[in-house]
Amino acid sequence: MARVDLQITRRQFLATGLAGTALAGTGMGPGRSNLSMRYPDPPWFATGEVVTTYNYCDMCPWKCGIAVQSVDGKVIKIDGNAPDPKSRGRLCGRGQAGVSFMNDPDRLQSPMIRTGERGEGKFREVTWEEALDYTAEKLLAIKDQYGPESLAIFGHTSGDFWFTDYFAQAWGTPNAAKPSSALCLSPRDEASTLTFGHAVGGHEPMDWEEMQCITLIGSHIGEDARNTVMQDFVEARARGAQVIVVDPRFSTAAAKADYWLPIKPGTDTALLLAWINVLITEERYDRAYIDQWATGFDELASHIQEFTPEWAAGITDLSADQIRTTIRVMADRSPQAVIMPGRHVTWYGNDTQRMRAEYLVNSLLGVYGRHGGMYFNKSPFLDSYPHPPFAVHGSSGGCSAEPGEESDVLPLGPSGKARADGAREAFLRGPTAMQELIDPMITDDPYRIAGLIVYGTNLLNSVPMPNRTIEALKKLDFVLAVDVLPQEHVAWADVVFPEATYLERYDQLSTVPHKTPFIQLREPAVPPMYDTMPGWMMARELGLRVGLDAFFKWETIEEYLNTRLRSVGSNLEKMHEAGGVIIQEGKPYLEDFEADGGTPFHTPSGKIELSVAELAEAGLDSIPVYEPTEEPPDGYYRLLYGRAPVHTFAKTQNTPDLSAVYPENELWINEDEAVALGYANGDRVWLENEAGDRTGPIAVKATQRIRKDAVFMVHGFGQQSSGLTNANGKGASDTKLMSRYKLDPISGGAGLRVNFVRLTEGG
Amino acid sequence: MASAFLLDMTRCIGCEACVLACKAGNELPVEMQYIELIERTSGTFPNLVGGFENHRCYHCTDAACVAVCPTGALFKEDGLTRLDRDACSGCGYCVQACPYGVPKMVGGRSSKCDACASNVGAGGSPWCVTTCPAQALQFGDREKILAEAKSRVAALKDRYPKVQVYGETQAGGLGLVLVLPDDPETLDIPADPPLVPVTVDVWKHIVQPVSMGATALAAVGAGVLGVIARRNHLAELKELEEQEKAGVAAGGSESTEEER
Repeated sequence: MARVDLQITRRQFLATGLAGTALAGTGMGPGRSNLSMRYPDPPWFATGEVVTTYNYCDMCPWKCGIAVQSVDGKVIKIDGNAPDPKSRGRLCGRGQAGVSFMNDPDRLQSPMIRTGERGEGKFREVTWEEALDYTAEKLLAIKDQYGPESLAIFGHTSGDFWFTDYFAQAWGTPNAAKPSSALCLSPRDEASTLTFGHAVGGHEPMDWEEMQCITLIGSHIGEDARNTVMQDFVEARARGAQVIVVDPRFSTAAAKADYWLPIKPGTDTALLLAWINVLITEERYDRAYIDQWATGFDELASHIQEFTPEWAAGITDLSADQIRTTIRVMADRSPQAVIMPGRHVTWYGNDTQRMRAEYLVNSLLGVYGRHGGMYFNKSPFLDSYPHPPFAVHGSSGGCSAEPGEESDVLPLGPSGKARADGAREAFLRGPTAMQELIDPMITDDPYRIAGLIVYGTNLLNSVPMPNRTIEALKKLDFVLAVDVLPQEHVAWADVVFPEATYLERYDQLSTVPHKTPFIQLREPAVPPMYDTMPGWMMARELGLRVGLDAFFKWETIEEYLNTRLRSVGSNLEKMHEAGGVIIQEGKPYLEDFEADGGTPFHTPSGKIELSVAELAEAGLDSIPVYEPTEEPPDGYYRLLYGRAPVHTFAKTQNTPDLSAVYPENELWINEDEAVALGYANGDRVWLENEAGDRTGPIAVKATQRIRKDAVFMVHGFGQQSSGLTNANGKGASDTKLMSRYKLDPISGGAGLRVNFVRLTEGG
Repeated sequence: MASAFLLDMTRCIGCEACVLACKAGNELPVEMQYIELIERTSGTFPNLVGGFENHRCYHCTDAACVAVCPTGALFKEDGLTRLDRDACSGCGYCVQACPYGVPKMVGGRSSKCDACASNVGAGGSPWCVTTCPAQALQFGDREKILAEAKSRVAALKDRYPKVQVYGETQAGGLGLVLVLPDDPETLDIPADPPLVPVTVDVWKHIVQPVSMGATALAAVGAGVLGVIARRNHLAELKELEEQEKAGVAAGGSESTEEER
């Protein structure tokens, strides 16, 4: 067994250095002579040689290409990497705070093994050898007793590949899951696959440069600070593109809109059906496009006859006039008019159908494969590192899965067990649903799940019903937490692996399906701090200890990466010199497919399926219908949640610079409602849901910017972890108020906007 | 030649990248922040106008903070208002004098944007400008910035009937020129910031220089402001004046070079 000397990490780093990185910074050279005479201290870039390394940002899942500048082994400044198609030299606030994230004094600094009870957070620091050997022993015991399928692996953020994809498939568990699927994107990607034969793709293929009209339904550009999207949105708008925002809240994007539709929560499908009605009855749809590229139009046309704007007005709290005007604005600009596929779309449990309704509007506008509409993305070409066939194929899926994972037959693990999440029974299709794996941990139904690896997922602040999750954590035989910070669930682990941050490690190459497919490099700016280790090394070291040597043949990560890069005529050194990114040619438009007689739509018909036979066969609606959502009881408000631009999920609340800018969330409540309840701005309240779950205190933000039937807060706050100096106990937790969710029968997504809360006093 | 920022609030999307880029690039301690975004809303649901006040130094030509600063820590350079924190005595006059409420006392000294003097001096741009995803920010020659602002306003009239340039004349002309979609009051920005009080001007330019070491007159000066200046200001002032002379000389030679 060829193990790596674990003590070598730092030494090796310093000896081999960073291939070709001893270059002066591209932007700033050492100090110039004309610095202001009044500033005696030279700025950082004038104090030594500036070394630039290339990376992709890990402060959110968007993965902007970045240039990292260091002086004397100290990382100082991160900027967008100019040639990178995602960042184009610019970066959001979270990306700018990457150094602050890395230097967070609360970081996990050493591997640890639990000494107290689960949940107590008592650990002893151990060597990596001991932590890895102990973990391997526990994993093998689970495999011997229950089979490899009994290990669940949850992972999120950019290193999750090594555990959730690679290790899981080599080990043989189909129970690997990412929150980015069933708690986020599954409905939009399953709806897209059913309609067009392919998922949306992580980087939404919006052809912004020529877009004339953008419609956002519950998308919060600006508060959702994905760098590229903000750049494109602002530029399109400045060019004169019309903006239509559908949102119960006057969001930042709504404040930029030409039309704001303050819709009643949960009624979006009614609006979409009425828009379809207008497009068809007023013959404003793209008939030639539909004739050539779609099937099921006649069925759709008869389906929507009764769904008039007047019908939708009564449901949505909008006027029929607003509904007509906005769809006409879109139709007048088609096909350069797009409803943007949202990102977090698990709202009410009927979410795949709502997303289908959005795509039907887009299809009638003829946007797919058209300039200024939605282009067809293409994955970059890059060979895998050779490995034996996996024990189970396509463990987790989701936005970062390898393409082609979805098949009609669920893959079976080595002992013949399929996913334990109820796929094909409780829901039709889609990647493993993380929240559906919690019950099996408690009930052993359909079989026992005895072990759990949690990589970078803030388990108790992202999966609904956290009390249920704690019950599951108590019952598991073994829990391994891999993280950078002592997040709340880490206290429930048996073993803790502290990870080196993205600035301290090489990592898997990032391959981005895009109009111009591209590959991004991650190279370390500094060696791992403390006694931390990169995720790839942990996965490999574990693999070597559990008999998976054949999957981890490479001796160094450099060898692994160089082998992959050879297939595109590059290597680490060349890629660094090229600025950390390799850009390839895409095939974005319909004309590119028409030229060779192919189709971009990989559906059974080879066309856009306005009506889906697979849904009808499963007893579901082949064309979307509007299903009313349960109303909040008297005295309760619907709980809505979203983003602050300087925070990501429940990951960055402790980052010193980000915490300083946005330390805690606030409860948005309509000002008139607040006055009626006797609350003023800044009053601190506790929130309670119908099940009696409580969280707080949270400051009231009494505002005109939200409807009277809902309250809103930024997600990710109200964390309870004494190891997090800045985040512990700040604000309220939306997750802790999610004592229920509504399962989407198509995608397995967890509809989370079905919880109702009231404002109360005291803890 | 005066420099200035352009800040186009019709583009700003409130993401706060500027805030964090400024903190990182200037290596500001965690408690220091030169830019703050404050949400502003007017109207009632659903007829609302909203945006952000990008609260930061406006770099006034007639800068009240510079006028009241007893140590010269605040000074004008290239049309911008610089702050040498090492020279600040912590009297807090600037905090009281600023018509925009910008400088803050952090760690006993004044704190505010200095337009990235070091970075710009080294041939770069202010950190907020280089990162802004919305490209709402530009930095350059003030005349060109003003022209750009005016041309944007002309092009934006259809979408924003009240769109306007802010900063051409306020406080003698600002080094932060705004393109505002609506009246400045909607973002809680004063349409006409109060001018530097004459009493302050008199104290700074007449009383203070003449009265070096003259306790009585100094007391009068302090009385005008309603604050008692620290005793050691006088010693510091002398020292700083010497430094200032050196600074001015160096500045002069620089501009000559530029003219060539």
